[in-house]
Amino acid sequence: MPRAVAKPSQAAAAGLEPWEVFRQEKEGDAMRHGGSVLAPDAELAVHYARELYGRRQESVRLWVVRRADVHDLDDQDLLQPPLDRSFKKPGGYVMRDKLAAARERSGQAKPRARTGGEPTAPEGTDS
Amino acid sequence: MTPAAASELLPATRNALSLLLLSLADDEFVIGFSDSEWTGIAPMLEEDVALSSLAQDELGHAQAFYRLLADIVADGRDADGIAYDRPPEGYYHARLLDHPRGDWASTIVRRYLYETADAVRLEALASSSWTPLAELVGKIRREERYHLMHVGAWFERLASTPGEPRARLLDALKRMGPDAGTVLAELPTELALEMAGIATSGSADLEARWRAGLAPVFTRLDLPPLPATADPAHARTAHSDAFRRLHADFTAVRQIDAGATW
Repeated sequence: MPRAVAKPSQAAAAGLEPWEVFRQEKEGDAMRHGGSVLAPDAELAVHYARELYGRRQESVRLWVVRRADVHDLDDQDLLQPPLDRSFKKPGGYVMRDKLAAARERSGQAKPRARTGGEPTAPEGTDS
Repeated sequence: MTPAAASELLPATRNALSLLLLSLADDEFVIGFSDSEWTGIAPMLEEDVALSSLAQDELGHAQAFYRLLADIVADGRDADGIAYDRPPEGYYHARLLDHPRGDWASTIVRRYLYETADAVRLEALASSSWTPLAELVGKIRREERYHLMHVGAWFERLASTPGEPRARLLDALKRMGPDAGTVLAELPTELALEMAGIATSGSADLEARWRAGLAPVFTRLDLPPLPATADPAHARTAHSDAFRRLHADFTAVRQIDAGATW
């Protein structure tokens, strides 16, 4: 077998196809795309994935997926539609003023921050 | 060429355009609110998120149409004012959308019949002489593409799955079929819209185009052909009790606190 098969046409001629490798760095982490390997079948694809993406103990789990089984979606009408979508984001609903007004109506004081001292702004308000 | 600024339109044209915008906005508003009733109870979690998001899209489209309408009417009401501060009989959506959400097959059939008709209507309006409408419709059509893909997938799936799925779909088609064409029924102001170039096709043309598009799908899925539109002269008036209940729901917050903002 050639040491490196660069072009898809050569790979196909050699009976190889691309497999996408996803790796998990530690238990509980999300699976992240690591890269790909060329292999003639799933068994060898897993071996190669182990060598390329796991031999240095950098992974606790690998997923190996035939690229042809990946459904690709890059239609910009579906992913980046042109209308304002701010109402789809929870940040569009600013609760601080409403909460303050509701507390005032009910006569309740604002709960103290757990760390004490000055109340801190809700997360994300200044980022 | 029709002037872009609403204030420069002839009064008759402005009235005709208002009615067109009201029909577009109310259609999207009512189906959006009605479909949002699935939030939390859709057949699967993924579908729950998907349909809720689609319903939100429709409300977003309604808001954009109501804004154009508010500019034209210019009586001090904003988009929310027009959307919420009318009695049920003041709404101008198609009778197809008077059917309640019903079961999942009913929702899919209602969406399928509506979205396919809406696509034909929007295609024609994309070349409207009134540029604010043509531009908005251009953007909305890009979102509606996905809506059609989504509902088409469900419609085909239910129709080609024997037993309960197909039986429920057939039942929904039987109930809603006679009202399907109401989305494209002639508006009383159609002549003025065509003369001003705001509408580029007559309603009869649009309806024929829509039916021609659906016919091969219905044949392939072995579904009975859609009947002619029942009572097209009252396609957008005399709403159902189901709509009155929906109206009571979607105006509830507004009636408790008229100044509430989102």
